[in-house]
Amino acid sequence: MASVEYRGMNLVIPENDSEWREHFKLARANHRLMLRACKACGLMRYPPSHGCPWCMSLEWEWKPVSGGGHIYSYEVVHHAIQPGFKEWTPYAVVLVELDEQRGAPTPDEALRVIANLVTPEFRPEPEANVAIGKRVRAVFQDLAPDFALPQFTLTDEPPEGRVWRFPG
Amino acid sequence: MALKDKYCIVGVGETEYSRQSARSTRAMAVEAVRNAMRDAGLGKDGVDGMMSYQSGDSVFANWVAPDLGIRLNFYMDVFGGGSSTEALVGLAMGAIEAGMCHTVAIFRSMNGYSDFRIGGTGARAAQPVRGLDLAQVPFGMRSAGQNFAPTFMRHMYEYGTTSEQVAHVRVAHSKHASQNPKAFLKDRVTVADVVGSRWICKPLHLLDCCLETDNATALIVTSAERARNLRRKPIYIMGVAGRVNKPRTDFHWAHGPITRVAGYHAKDIVFGQAGIKPDDVNVTGSYDAFTFTTMLQLEEYGFCKKGEGGQYVSSGTIELGGKRPNNTSGSHLCEGYTHGISMVIENVRQLRGQVDDYCPGWEDGKHSYDYSPGKCRQVKDARITMNLGWAMPPTGSALIMRN
Repeated sequence: MASVEYRGMNLVIPENDSEWREHFKLARANHRLMLRACKACGLMRYPPSHGCPWCMSLEWEWKPVSGGGHIYSYEVVHHAIQPGFKEWTPYAVVLVELDEQRGAPTPDEALRVIANLVTPEFRPEPEANVAIGKRVRAVFQDLAPDFALPQFTLTDEPPEGRVWRFPG
Repeated sequence: MALKDKYCIVGVGETEYSRQSARSTRAMAVEAVRNAMRDAGLGKDGVDGMMSYQSGDSVFANWVAPDLGIRLNFYMDVFGGGSSTEALVGLAMGAIEAGMCHTVAIFRSMNGYSDFRIGGTGARAAQPVRGLDLAQVPFGMRSAGQNFAPTFMRHMYEYGTTSEQVAHVRVAHSKHASQNPKAFLKDRVTVADVVGSRWICKPLHLLDCCLETDNATALIVTSAERARNLRRKPIYIMGVAGRVNKPRTDFHWAHGPITRVAGYHAKDIVFGQAGIKPDDVNVTGSYDAFTFTTMLQLEEYGFCKKGEGGQYVSSGTIELGGKRPNNTSGSHLCEGYTHGISMVIENVRQLRGQVDDYCPGWEDGKHSYDYSPGKCRQVKDARITMNLGWAMPPTGSALIMRN
């Protein structure tokens, strides 16, 4: 069983957690974002799941994605709930839409991932720099020999559509 | 639906809304269920079914019933919070229809402030993170507000919704609470108060968020035939939808638009059963875990166009005296946090014409309709009410009732 201490939290992955047991291990080993892809229809999904949401196949394989994407939505936490996040406030939680499989198989679907927007030093990115539309890439924070936490950091690429920041 | 008007809510009751109940969820549940039974005029032999919902923080139905001398033919405790009320009303109808029992009491009892903080602080923040929680909690996204905020933010991006517009939900509900002797917060607030309150999780200010309180709430469902012989005017159930979901409820971000909420799917079920349209509804009870949740549901159920929720909630429509008041008790933002039953209780009282406001004759249905502070909160001629229950953006329930 993997048990990782991070920001005062105990992240627990028992060996029988067949959804998650490889996810963070692969992130640590490859420093790439790996998603489950259906062997029957080829579509990727996140979070990792046993069945394919589109064709019900139970056959899947891990597939790397580029880790590139843009901020689809976000929030800025000023009042932390978890004690270990208090020294991080204000910190941004971002919903990142990945570059692969956008609008597939239906226009409203996409691979979207929750993470923090961090600096390359894994500190929270200042609030003034967080906005919908900005381009990001995945970065990996090693927490244990078999566990890395995928996060996102800003890139210099041109934004995706309209850049919008919460006024205030 | 085949069961339209065949079942009624016949009794409602609650405990005090406080932050220091100093007693068990069992004791509070017993009091709330007893109050609902007395309201209905039912003795211990009048109830033979009991249901509750909880999240590992409360007592079970088969511990509450014996404290009141009730022998149960049916009970069921389910896991869940908001949007469970309407779902359990539908399940109670089904249990009675199946012949398993004849009258069901439904309760929710919680020390939501003094024990299991609903906001997720205290003991809840220290729980190990496993399973699906690994997709969000390691990133400091644990509380309800943190879980919902990207939906609210995207709504502002897509539709131009403003903080000032949604602040009107708090303004309206605080106005209603000022006419509710039971309300935990009775002071009226302004838009400036809301947008000037401290940040919790942008775009949420403190006053965009509901209360955390200790309380138990209960209601009683039985058949229309039995209802006619009871103490209060029967309130008929016209339609119900329970825990309707968007695709990918586990991680609803995967299937957009993320500004869409479960009402998109629930509305056709519940309006179809009731055979009415949004315009026929006199009073709404749109779940106010946050100002935004009230707004999102009202637009999704068709009380205004999608994207125009900000205008709708800031137009005066949802205030007492407006065209279609919402949450006339002040509900979760101001009255107390109950995971939804209190909003159904309030609408039952509205339909009876017996809202427990400051009017001396409220129990006899005598109201002044003076909506100034400390006065009346009865809606004149309320005929049809609708509850819009919220669990999270992808899960919701709905209930339409009439008198």
